Amino acid sequence: MIAYKFLRPDGTSVFTRYTWPLPDDGPGPWVDAEVDPCRSGIHACRRADLPLWLGRSLYEIELEGEVREEATKVVAPRARLLRRIDAWDESTRDEYTRMCADRAHELARAADLAGWDAVVEPSVPEGPALLGFVAARIAEKISGADAYHAERRHQADWLADRLGL
Amino acid sequence: MAESHDHVSCSEVVELVTDYLERSLPPEEAALFEQHLNFCDGCVWYVDQIQTTVETVGRIEPEEVPPEVRSQLLAAFRDWKRS
Repeated sequence: MIAYKFLRPDGTSVFTRYTWPLPDDGPGPWVDAEVDPCRSGIHACRRADLPLWLGRSLYEIELEGEVREEATKVVAPRARLLRRIDAWDESTRDEYTRMCADRAHELARAADLAGWDAVVEPSVPEGPALLGFVAARIAEKISGADAYHAERRHQADWLADRLGL
Repeated sequence: MAESHDHVSCSEVVELVTDYLERSLPPEEAALFEQHLNFCDGCVWYVDQIQTTVETVGRIEPEEVPPEVRSQLLAAFRDWKRS
């Protein structure tokens, strides 16, 4: 199964700080781990999960073995990084952040949510993960849980399109 | 209008931090917790502080605590239980 994984700029995992063997000319070496979701195992994103886990560097990852499909991620016992997705760079991160900020303004102003509108611009320096959440939360405030998920799907589609996934 | 339960707030992070650090949160809640940490630097800082405190305090052996401090601590905890 092909999935995606965000890492820190130094190639370590965001939460476990595991140092991943990075791909060079070809795929990186296989990594094995016991599967226990959110505790151990190799965690990765499907396309729809990308907005929830945005980080600095994005890699395509090949998962092997029995892959567990969780609500917002997949967990596998074996994986290797195939390539870095270079399109997820500073420029695209800024563009995505701006897209989410504009969307958040649009939603908040249409519903007269001045308090929410006011938090958008101060949140922009915090980056794409926060702005995606803010836009989805405003949608949820206006129209409920389905709107939250619809906004997340829209964000995932934007990312998949821009990154060619 | 129902809001989703697919995210946690900063105050919920404060409530759940001990269970998260002890790895006793159910996987779904741990995922929501980590999604929040992914965009909230304030909560990352808070969780790091708690983790550091737990690690530091966990290294102290009972015999390292002076008797008078031990008595004061026990008294304080007794009062806390009553209040």
